[in-house]
Amino acid sequence: MICDQCGERPASVIVKQTQQGQLTERHLCHICAAGNQSINIAFEQDPMAIHQLLSNWFPAQQKTINPVRKEVAVCPTCGFTFTKFLELGKFGCASCYDTFEPHLVEIFKRLHNGNIEHNGKIPASYGNTLKIKKDIEELRKQMKTSVEGEDFEKAAKLRDEIRVLNTQLEGGVSNGD
Amino acid sequence: MAIDRFLRPKASSWMANDGENVDIAMSTRIRLARNLNDFQFPYAFSEDEALKVDKAISAVLLDKGRELDYNFTHIDIQETPTLEREVLVEKHLISPYLAKGQHSGSVLLSNNEELSIMVNEEDHLRIQSLQSGFHLQEAYQVAHQLDSLLEKHLSYAFHEKFGYLTSCPTNTGTGMRASVMLHLPALTMSHQINRIIPAISRLGMVVRGSYGEGSEALGNVYQISNQLTLGKSEYEILQDLQNMTEQIIQQERRAREAILNNSPVVLEDRIYRSLGTLTHSRLLTTEEAATCLSDVRLGIDLKMIKDMDMSILNELMIFMQPAFLQQYSNKPLQPKERDFARARLFRERLNRESLNDEGEDFV
Ligand SMILES: [Zn+2]
Ligand SMILES: [Zn+2]
Repeated sequence: MICDQCGERPASVIVKQTQQGQLTERHLCHICAAGNQSINIAFEQDPMAIHQLLSNWFPAQQKTINPVRKEVAVCPTCGFTFTKFLELGKFGCASCYDTFEPHLVEIFKRLHNGNIEHNGKIPASYGNTLKIKKDIEELRKQMKTSVEGEDFEKAAKLRDEIRVLNTQLEGGVSNGD
Repeated sequence: MAIDRFLRPKASSWMANDGENVDIAMSTRIRLARNLNDFQFPYAFSEDEALKVDKAISAVLLDKGRELDYNFTHIDIQETPTLEREVLVEKHLISPYLAKGQHSGSVLLSNNEELSIMVNEEDHLRIQSLQSGFHLQEAYQVAHQLDSLLEKHLSYAFHEKFGYLTSCPTNTGTGMRASVMLHLPALTMSHQINRIIPAISRLGMVVRGSYGEGSEALGNVYQISNQLTLGKSEYEILQDLQNMTEQIIQQERRAREAILNNSPVVLEDRIYRSLGTLTHSRLLTTEEAATCLSDVRLGIDLKMIKDMDMSILNELMIFMQPAFLQQYSNKPLQPKERDFARARLFRERLNRESLNDEGEDFV
């Protein structure tokens, strides 16, 4: 095969590019390929053209099927619609995550090998609150089991513990420490 | 100008070439993506908000950075001339995206260039920590410490279920991208790399050559990085990447031995021809320079070439790029003139000749 650019030398490099959502493949000789791009090691490319993947998973016609749902999916903070999110492949703000949450499980599953929940670092300022919430969740489960086992004394004790934690949450927790 | 020190053709410490396995694993990079809670993300924010975000983040870094012994230099992107931005890109200190300067944004650089914090890239904050050699844990610690310091003074966009909220759903969760740059000439020569790349991607990691996915790598340099940011902790992600990289390094060593045993003279010939090209050419294209650098680097690793300093090769990989050459020559250069300037740069650096006295000028 001959180089697409100079038409002189044999093509030795396949350069794949996405331009306006269109994947193009160019066969270039080593000289044109080198001239085309600097030696930068794909410094911050998306691992894949994200908006392309998203539009494949959510074809355009789907968006008009349910007008109610479409109306709901407008971010109140930045004004991004779900359609815009799909087109760009990017969120406009933090509230987008809440607005589009019903769709996100599906998206994250595919992007992150089936994972849908964060399991890593938590900012210190969220650390305490998050820990209390998780504790409450745990205590609620235990209380349910106690009630089912008719151990009402234990259930009452657990209920009091939950109450204490809830007041802590409402009263705000000292950050960080 | 404060920026000048970062534009000089002088190696950053992350190019220094020391540490374990440095013959194959050239450098390590950790990037953390973060956003502030009270502002829209860069794809939606107004210029006014962009300016406020930049001011807020820069102020914290310039003031509180000292707690961690960093004396950051603040560089406003829009005030920086295009060529100088490109030099910073070629040095890996900023991304091409930030260099476009679409909104108010900046980069804050530590003196040794191991830490680079980009403001208003695709996310409000991109903390980047660079290390020479194979040092995932160390590079992460540096980024993590700075992140924790910033978080005391800024309110991050964080979600109980989704973790750190980023512009792109491929970064949501830890917001962390960890990568190691690997020099894999023997795996490339023996075509084994074509089997390795698909296998790695099935494990939630990606390998990229310098032309992007699925194509030949310039100078046999590949970058391996994590693709998943959700579901696994930072520790698990780093551990997986560590194990995978160690396996690739072992395979590269085995492939080198095999080539050395099977065709020592062919290999030696190739390495010395490349050395000759780098030290005596008058015209050098990027591609030829990268290929020859790879061969000479291999020659040093295999102890065939003994009197050459590897860190000079690392420098040359960076300084042979278009913007650097123009910076170095002090004028804009056409592609052909660049090939001439590149050849001259290599002769100067590798032969320790001073060509400046010859009165010779570029074509
Ligand atoms: Zn060509
Ligand atoms: Zn939004």
